[in-house]
Amino acid sequence: MDKNAIKVENLVKSFGEADSEVVVIDGANFSLSKGEFVALIAPSGSGKTTLLMMLGCALEPTSGKIVIGDRIVYDNKWKIKDDRALRRKKIGFIFQSHYLIPFLNIEENISLLPYQNGEKPKVVKQRVKEILDYLDMGDKLYNMPSELSGGQNQRIAIARALANKPDIILADEPTAALDQKRAVSVVKMLKKITREQDVTIIMVTHDERLLPYCDKVLTIKDKKILVEENSDEHII
Amino acid sequence: MINLAYKDISHSFSKFIVTAISVGVLLGIVIIMIGVYRGMVFDAKSLVDDIKADIWVVQQDTLGPFAQNSKVHEDLKEQISYQNGIKSASAITFETIQMQNCYGDFKVMIVGYDPLSNIDVINMDKLIAGRTINKQHYEIVVSKKTHYKLGESIKLGRDYFKVVGITKESVSNGGDYLMFVSLKDAQMLQFTYTNERVKSDESRGIKGGNPHLVNAIIAEIKDGYNPKRVATNIEEATHKKVFTKDEQKRLLLEKVIKKSSKQIGMFTVILIIVSIVIIALIIYTMTLEKIKEISILKLIGISNWTISKMIVEETVLLGFLAFISGNIFARLVQGAFPKRIVLELSDAFILFIIILIASIFASLFGIYKVIKTNPSEAIGG
Repeated sequence: MDKNAIKVENLVKSFGEADSEVVVIDGANFSLSKGEFVALIAPSGSGKTTLLMMLGCALEPTSGKIVIGDRIVYDNKWKIKDDRALRRKKIGFIFQSHYLIPFLNIEENISLLPYQNGEKPKVVKQRVKEILDYLDMGDKLYNMPSELSGGQNQRIAIARALANKPDIILADEPTAALDQKRAVSVVKMLKKITREQDVTIIMVTHDERLLPYCDKVLTIKDKKILVEENSDEHII
Repeated sequence: MINLAYKDISHSFSKFIVTAISVGVLLGIVIIMIGVYRGMVFDAKSLVDDIKADIWVVQQDTLGPFAQNSKVHEDLKEQISYQNGIKSASAITFETIQMQNCYGDFKVMIVGYDPLSNIDVINMDKLIAGRTINKQHYEIVVSKKTHYKLGESIKLGRDYFKVVGITKESVSNGGDYLMFVSLKDAQMLQFTYTNERVKSDESRGIKGGNPHLVNAIIAEIKDGYNPKRVATNIEEATHKKVFTKDEQKRLLLEKVIKKSSKQIGMFTVILIIVSIVIIALIIYTMTLEKIKEISILKLIGISNWTISKMIVEETVLLGFLAFISGNIFARLVQGAFPKRIVLELSDAFILFIIILIASIFASLFGIYKVIKTNPSEAIGG
C-alpha cells in the first residue's frame, strides 16, 4: 500500500462571495494509497459530498491541490481539460441510492462506461460477466433494475463503478438505503474489492459500526480533515 | 455502443407514443387550419377556373359578377360574338339561395347557363354521375354534398327540376355548393316574380320585370389573340366592363375573400406560434424529466455529446412520429368539415421543419440547463 492513489494539499472550498461567503472545507491535507479502504464521516451538511465531488473532479475547489495517481488534476485551477474523460477512466462512483439508468438492463448499465471509453464489445461483455460473477450476480445480466431488490441494485452499482477498472471509487453513503445486514455485506464486498482489485475506496458513511472495516477514517471537523488510521488489530 | 435514445424509448414506449400522438394531433390541427386557408383561396378561384371562359363582360363601372352585382342584357352576347378575336360567347347567371332537404339546410349557388353554348361551364372532370344539361327546361346538375340522387325531383321556385348529373367539389367562391340549371330556368328563378309581387308592382305602375337579364357574358377567345387586348376593345365598343380570367380571379382574391382569408391566415399564424411554444415546452419538460439520469451519466463520465445525441435523437423521432400522426389525423377529419380543406404535403413538411427546429432548440436548451446543474444535486449531496 505504498503507491499514491490520491493526495490533497491545502484544499479549500467556499460558496458565495465577500460577506455571504461560506467556507465548507478549509485547508484539507491528506494522502491515500492504492488499495486503501477509507471512511469519510462527518455530521450532515458539513461538506462530505462536496469533498467527494471535488475529489471526483465534478466540483471545482476554491484553492489547493489535488493529485490523482501521479497526475496533478488541480493546482489552484484545473490542470485537466476533460474532467469527464478522467472520471470515466480513473474514477468510479457509487451513490446513496443505486441510481442505475432505469431504461438500461444490468449488462448495459455496467458496460456503458467501457463502451464510452472505446473498448471493444467482446472485451466489455467478458469483463461485465466477470464482474457480475465476482459479485455473485452473474444470473442478472439481462434483468432491468426495476426487477431487482435494493441490495441487488446496489451491488450492480458497485459493478458499474468497477467496470472501467478505476483507481479510485468514491462511494457516497452506499449503505444508507440498506438494512444493517445488507450494509455490512456491501461494506465487506467493498473491502474485498480494495484488497483484490487494488482500488482505493473512499466511503462516506454515518454508520460508525462500519468503521472497523476501514483502513483509515477521515473526519471533517470544524471544516478541517482529521485522518485517523485504524490499527491492524482493530480492523475487521 | 449502446443507443441510449432507442433504449429510453423502448423502456417507456407507450408514454412516448402517446406524447407523439398528442403532439401530432396539435400539428394536425395546425395543418387543418392551413388547409382551411388554402381551401378558401382554392374555392374562390374554383368556379372561374371551371368555367372555360377567357373574358367576363359585366355591367359598366362594376366589379361583377362576384365582387359586385352586375346585370346586362342577354342579347349582349350576340354583340360580343361579333367582336374581333371572339370564338364564342354565352350568357350566365348566378344566384345564391337557401335550400332544405332531409339532410338539413344549406346554401347553394344556382348557375344558369346555355346548354347549347360551346363554352363549358361544368368542369367535366368533376361530373361524377349522369350528364350535363341538354334541355332548355327543368333539368338540374347538383353537387354530391347536397345528397340529391340522380332522377330525383327538386322544387325550385314554382317548378320541379329533375337531377340529371352530380358533381363533386364544385363550389362557389364562398364555398357554397353549386347547382346548374339552364339559362332560361335561371332567369325565371332570378327575374320572374310571384303573381302577388306582379300585382303589387302593377298597382304601383311598374310594368312586369325583364326576364332577359343575365349577370355576365362569358366568351372564349380565338387562338393567337391577347385576352387583355380583346377585353379593352370590347370595353370601348360596348361600354361594358370586361375582365380577363386572371383579372376575375384576382378580383375574387382581393375583393371578395381578402378579409376572410386574412383573418384565417392570421389565426393560422397565431396557432402555429402557440403550437411551436407548446411543443417546445413538451420537449423541454421531457428533457428536464431526465435530469436525474443525465446528472448520473454526467457524473460517471459520459460525454455531453452522448447525452445530447440521446435527447436530440428522441426529439427528432418524436417530431417525425408527430408529423406522421398529425397528417393522418388531418386527413381523417378533413372530410368532416363542411367547406373545402386543401391539405398540401409541402405545407405539412414546412411545418414539420419549423416545429423540428423549435423542438431541437428546446431540447438543446433543456440539455444546457441539465448539463449546467450541479451533479451533486442528483446524488442528494
